[in-house]
Formats: sequence, C-alpha cells, structure tokens
Amino acid sequence: MQTTVVKPLVFSALMLLGGMVGAYADPLRQEELDWLQTMAFAAHQTDYSGTFIYQYGGHVETSRITHIADRDGEHGKLERLDGPRREIIRHNDQVWCDLGNGKVKIEQRQGGREFPALLPEQLTLLSKNYVIKTAEEERLAGFHAHTMVFQPKDNLRYTHKMWADSISGLLLKSEVIDDRGNVIEQYSFTQLSIGGDIDRSWIASNQPPTASPAHMPHHTHNSHYPHDAPHVGDPLLAGTFPKMAASIASGWRVDALPDGFRKIAEVRRKLHGRDAPVIQMVFSDGLAGVSVFIEQSDHDDDDHDGLSSQGVIQVYSKVIDDNLVTVIGEVPPQTVMQIADSVRNGNNP
Amino acid sequence: MKNNISALMDGELFDDEADAVLDQIKRNPAAQTEWHMYHLVGDALRQPGHLHADMRSVLRERLQAEPTVLAPRNRERQNARWFALSAAASIMALALVAWLSVQVGPEPAPQMAMQQQPSALHPANFPLNSGLNAYLMAHQEFSPSTDVQGAAPYIRTVAGQ
Repeated sequence: MQTTVVKPLVFSALMLLGGMVGAYADPLRQEELDWLQTMAFAAHQTDYSGTFIYQYGGHVETSRITHIADRDGEHGKLERLDGPRREIIRHNDQVWCDLGNGKVKIEQRQGGREFPALLPEQLTLLSKNYVIKTAEEERLAGFHAHTMVFQPKDNLRYTHKMWADSISGLLLKSEVIDDRGNVIEQYSFTQLSIGGDIDRSWIASNQPPTASPAHMPHHTHNSHYPHDAPHVGDPLLAGTFPKMAASIASGWRVDALPDGFRKIAEVRRKLHGRDAPVIQMVFSDGLAGVSVFIEQSDHDDDDHDGLSSQGVIQVYSKVIDDNLVTVIGEVPPQTVMQIADSVRNGNNP
Repeated sequence: MKNNISALMDGELFDDEADAVLDQIKRNPAAQTEWHMYHLVGDALRQPGHLHADMRSVLRERLQAEPTVLAPRNRERQNARWFALSAAASIMALALVAWLSVQVGPEPAPQMAMQQQPSALHPANFPLNSGLNAYLMAHQEFSPSTDVQGAAPYIRTVAGQ
C-alpha cells in the first residue's frame, strides 16, 4: 500500500524537476547538440595522429590512432601498442583487421550511411533521453577541452562524459559511467597532433591492390597471408559481399522496446565468418546504439549464450523459435536483455 | 628540596608549604624527576604486583604522536547519518510490507523488488569472445557513438585478444 502512495509523489516531483530543467536548459541544450555535430564532423574530416589510453574494468591499454581525410575519402589506422601486435586499417567503408600471427580479416562496412551521420532526428531523440550539461573546461593532452555530460533520465542507458578540443571539436577523452557512478570505460588521448605533417606511408601500401571484383578470392577469411607482404591482403569485398546491405522488413519485431529507442535500420547482410546472411535491426536513443542480429541457429554453437560484457558493450544471446538472437549495444545489461527477451517473429504468430 | 618533597609525600607539610613545593615541582624538571622517583621508591617498598614505570612521560609521548584534528565537528554529517538511518528504516519497513504481502498473496509490492533487480546485473568485464567480434564490427557501423569517436570504437575489437 505504501508504494502506491509514495511512487506518484516521487514521480510528480521528478516530473516537476525535469520540466524546470527542460525549460531553462533549452538554449544550452541546442549549443551542446551543435557541439556534438561539430565533433562528428571533426572525427571524419580532421587529419590527426595521436596516442590514447583505452580502459575498461581492470584492463588498460595504449593505442596509436592516425586519421587522414583526403580526396579519396577517409583513411584510419589503429595500432595497439601494448602486448601482441593488433592493427585495424580503414579506408572509407573497407576495414582490414590484422590480429597478429599474419592472419588478416577483412570486413566490408555495409551500413552505407551518408556523412555527416548525426541526423537532426537523432539529436532530438538524444535530448529527450538525456539531460545535457556543460561541465568545467579542462586541459587535456595539451589542448583546451570543452566538457559535456549526457546524463540519462532513466537507468536504461549510461552516462556519457565527453571532452572535445575547443578549436577542432575532436574528441579528446570520453568516459562512460554506470548508474552507480563507476567509470566503466574510457578513452583518453595522452598525445595528439592535429593537422600538419602526418605520416601517410601506410595509406599507399594498404590500398587494395586491385579494384577488379574478378580477382577477388572467395571465402579467404581464414587464409594466412605472408607477414612480410607489402600490402595487408586482397580484399574479399565486392565479389562475395553485396556493396550495400539490403534494407528489408524482416517481419521480426521487438515487442518491448525500451523507452526512448527507435529503429534506425533493418538490413539483411553478410557477416564475417558466416555463410548465411543475417538480419540486423539497429535501434538508437540518439547517443547509444543497440543491434539485434537474427540468424538460423545451428544448435552446436552454444559458446556465446547468455550475457557477456566488455566495458560499455553488452552482448546477450538467446535462441528464439530456432533462431539465434544476439543483442549487442553500448547500454546496460537490463536494456539488452529486455530487448532480447521481447524479440518476436511476426511471420509465425 | 628532597626533604620537602619527601615531607609533602608523607603529608607532613602545611597547606601553604605544600603549595609552594608543588609550585616548585611544576617549574623544576629535576624536582619533577625527584618527585616521580620518590613515588617509584615508595611503590617498590610497598611491593605491589607491578611497578609502574614513567607512565607520565610515556603518556605524554603517546599524546604528542596523536594527530591534531583542527576541523570543527560536522553537525551536518550527523544529520545525514540520521537521515540515512531513517531512510534505511523506511526501506526495511517497505521490505517488511513486501515480505508480508508475499506471505499473504500475490500483491503488487513484490514488483518493486523486481524493478530493482536489473540494476544489480553487473557482469564481469572481459575481452569479448572473438566469435562476437563480427557482431561488434557490424554494430559499430551503425552506432551513433562511432560518429563521434571516429575509428576509436574499433579498439574494442582489438582489445585484449
């Protein structure tokens, strides 16, 4: 009985508070949303090179990132500096992963999204789900940083804190904080050069050697390339994978989509290491994303069942109607679980 | 001086004389040692179970070693603690109500416990199974956070493998 009395009171108090914040924070909010746009622009259009620390749980590692935007589009290289050599090279929508021991995995980004990618609707959604605050300006890696906090209005998402270079808008540091105030994942540049003379030697040597689909080998994802090869590997791109994932209406749906999330894509696509295409539905609350993958269950593949986690990323898998459903996103465990538990196949009611 | 101290200890001095001797003892360290020594001798002669060594100076040294707290006592904190305690008491009361209603029948109260449950889910952090990397890569193509962080999200794919 007590709960029914207390809850409406607390609820209305929160609503009142929320309303007040909303009324007074509007101009500020717009400014912060503009900042986010600037940051997205900077992430794609700036030439930079730097070293950053990535940390989640008790795990810390250092990586070097280089990004160049030119007439050919975007080139990015990410190298892990600690432990075994790991490297990811990206040219526009093509991604090469060198995970050491000479093995090269190649991915084709199939999202095919246009740049700049933060759409106005997305930002509207974001400001519905988060209270946006400006924090104190700080100095980071020698840069003057503009600090923003995106605080969720419920416990379905994490708090995001971002530090952006006040001149270029480049993200200098990012923290994700859970509902208990713990930082669960962070990136932070320790050294960064923006613009100027940035090493480009890796770009030429990592261009796909041939652009002709006729030369593309089929299913080479487990092949071993010589380690001293001047190029990372022949991309198995257009030949086996469609350039763009096909937008579809799969008939699958999420019955209890958590508040504030909206579907931003539904595609049928190839996934690396799988023969059959999978269905991918993507939901977003404006800042965080959740993908739902649906594929035919092969029964013997129970190694990734249940909940697993790495920093901000949560993965939850379960079998529904003989299909393996995998939900992955930068949201708390309860959010991925709620989504996975309410996935329904509308084709066989 | 020694005689005076001895007389003082034996209670043979008049009040004004005793005051004068005590005054001297206070100001003169040698007299203090003397005073202490006489007590020690007296104690030894009376043969108690144990002799107390220079308790006074031991005590003083211990006191000097203690950190000095200059901050005034915080009254707010007490209030906060009181509040926390009363809040805890209310939660206990709610829990009791919930428990009682469980005993009686399926009432709405247990739902509150259900709503609290998801927050308690905190899986251990570990590098994701490499089988999940394909999903992660595919997800990052679409996730809005990738737009702000550039290539940095790919770090999750290479981390800890």
